[in-house]
Amino acid sequence: MSAPSSSPPEPALEPRGLAAPHGGVADQIVIDAQDLRMIYPPPKAGGKGTVAVDGVGFQVWRGEIFGFLGPNGAGKTTTISILTTLLDPTSGRARIEGIDVLAHPNDVRRKIGLVFQKSTADEELTGRENMLIEAGLYGLTSGQIGGHVNDLLAQMDLATSADRFVKTYSGGMRRRLELAVGMVHKPKLLFLDEPTLGLDPQGRAGFWRYIRYLRDSQGLTVFMTTHYLDEADQLCDRIAVIDHGKIIALGTPKQLKDSVGGDTLVLSVAAGSADPTALISPLPGVTAISRQGDSLRVKCSRGESLVPKVVMTAAQAGIEILGVTVIKPTLDEVFLHLTGHAYREEGEAPNGNPGHGAGNGPEGAPA
Amino acid sequence: MMLPAFSLIRREYIRWIRAPTWVISGLLSPILYLILFGQAFDLGKLLPPGTPAGVLASALSGAPTYFSYFAVGMVAFASVTAAMFSGTGIIFDKQLGILQRILSTPISRRSVFLSSLIFRGMLTLIPAFLVVGFALLLAYVPGVAGLQVGANVTALDAAQFLGAALILSVAFTSLFLSFGFAVQRIESYFGVVTILQLPILLTSNAMYPVNIMPTWLQYLVGFNPISLAVNVMRMSLFGTNGYTYSVGIYLLGLLAWAVVFVLLALLLASRALRSHVGPVGGALSDAIAT
Repeated sequence: MSAPSSSPPEPALEPRGLAAPHGGVADQIVIDAQDLRMIYPPPKAGGKGTVAVDGVGFQVWRGEIFGFLGPNGAGKTTTISILTTLLDPTSGRARIEGIDVLAHPNDVRRKIGLVFQKSTADEELTGRENMLIEAGLYGLTSGQIGGHVNDLLAQMDLATSADRFVKTYSGGMRRRLELAVGMVHKPKLLFLDEPTLGLDPQGRAGFWRYIRYLRDSQGLTVFMTTHYLDEADQLCDRIAVIDHGKIIALGTPKQLKDSVGGDTLVLSVAAGSADPTALISPLPGVTAISRQGDSLRVKCSRGESLVPKVVMTAAQAGIEILGVTVIKPTLDEVFLHLTGHAYREEGEAPNGNPGHGAGNGPEGAPA
Repeated sequence: MMLPAFSLIRREYIRWIRAPTWVISGLLSPILYLILFGQAFDLGKLLPPGTPAGVLASALSGAPTYFSYFAVGMVAFASVTAAMFSGTGIIFDKQLGILQRILSTPISRRSVFLSSLIFRGMLTLIPAFLVVGFALLLAYVPGVAGLQVGANVTALDAAQFLGAALILSVAFTSLFLSFGFAVQRIESYFGVVTILQLPILLTSNAMYPVNIMPTWLQYLVGFNPISLAVNVMRMSLFGTNGYTYSVGIYLLGLLAWAVVFVLLALLLASRALRSHVGPVGGALSDAIAT
């Protein structure tokens, strides 16, 4: 019935060698995607097809939260659709728990849970009814699964609203119900497609707690897509950064940030002062300096320890420093570093993208 | 183990039972036809006084009164009108992403179609039965015409009547379900239904006798699945005099229509369920389709 699950552990597609991160077990591969390609047919005959996914390959290890990070249109949703059997790739192959998604889609469907971008619960039904009907689609009766449904509703803090119509639920409650519905048949692997889209920052942080809880309490492996940099940074054990259908980096958030090369010190100098560049560049740890008007961006290895030295050196030369900001590298800068273009959504202004952390102006290309 | 299709039927049932306005609006129009149209449009009253009773009976192919003749037509009318809503649920499920969630589970694609056919088909039978019951009751109201049935209706006749109602329901439920699978928007769906509604109903013998129609129309009416079903129903209740073919032939003709419509629906459903399967959430596939 099911395909052999003894796939030989292949070397992970890491930019550099990695230890297994929190929770992840590197020799237990849950998702194995190889050279996935998806070309959507052209809308009109004779037109060119849209290449949504262009040779994507990666492995997800048991127990980890694996993030697929990229701007809208990068190919995240197409990839998750292929992995969850909802879309047949143009080429390439993917195995879930060793089972080929193309050869045995129904076996894969039984193994995985799926939380969609949009709420897919039936508004006219209660939360509990939605769960029981979903369970029925897997052939499970309420007698078999009723206790599990109660547990899930309680874990998602929906016990008191379980018998209310979904149309009365708030946005956060709907997302939690989606999570509960996705878990109703006790999958060991959960796919989340942009799970916190449309939630405010507080609601998002709250939702992460439920995902972590499920991972920790049920030994779940989580594959999620997101276009929120902070979400990937704080929630995911490992991240694949995807842009224009290709994976451009893969690693833990810390590894990715370290790859950019340290902190940035932003100094604002009083107008009319002398240029302190020549004084600062010989200081230990400084790797690069760029100047724009009255502000100086200093790339360095340990920003905090450099601050007193910079201020003292400048003061001795009679240059007044008005302010100093230490910027720790963010995924924003990682993205900029890797792609050469700033991370932002289509149609969005270069500045003023909320939720990406401070000091991420596109002007400050890292050295 | 529970059949996944049953879970879908249960969902539709819960939704249906909670929307009583739909029940009322679905039942109201056939009842109004019985009380208003059926009472007013009594063809028998057009005959001059003293006309032998056999003249009307032969014009109505054996039915004792025009209302009795009409009431049986209304059974089919009510069923087909109810069937016209069959495809709406699947369109909303597509738009809301519920269909995609269903397709992400191991349920077979055929079960998705069959559960819709079974549940929606049963829904179209409810108004049909209520029309029969209501028309029979009217016979006991003084001063009002009601459905009069011959005393010699056998169990076989009743079975034929039910069989015709059932096959008609399967045929039109499938037809309208197939539109629901084929189109993406509720506006397009009701556009198609509105265009079809009057031609389907008016080229049948549900409301008036075939022999007062011009020959070309009689041909059209003869092939209409509603006419075939109504013929069987009337022959079961009022006798087989005045019909060209036997009950069996009409039933076979009706069955042929049902097979065609079920196959059409299966084809469109499997195409729709395959092409609907796209990126999760549907935003990307929408963007590419436009």
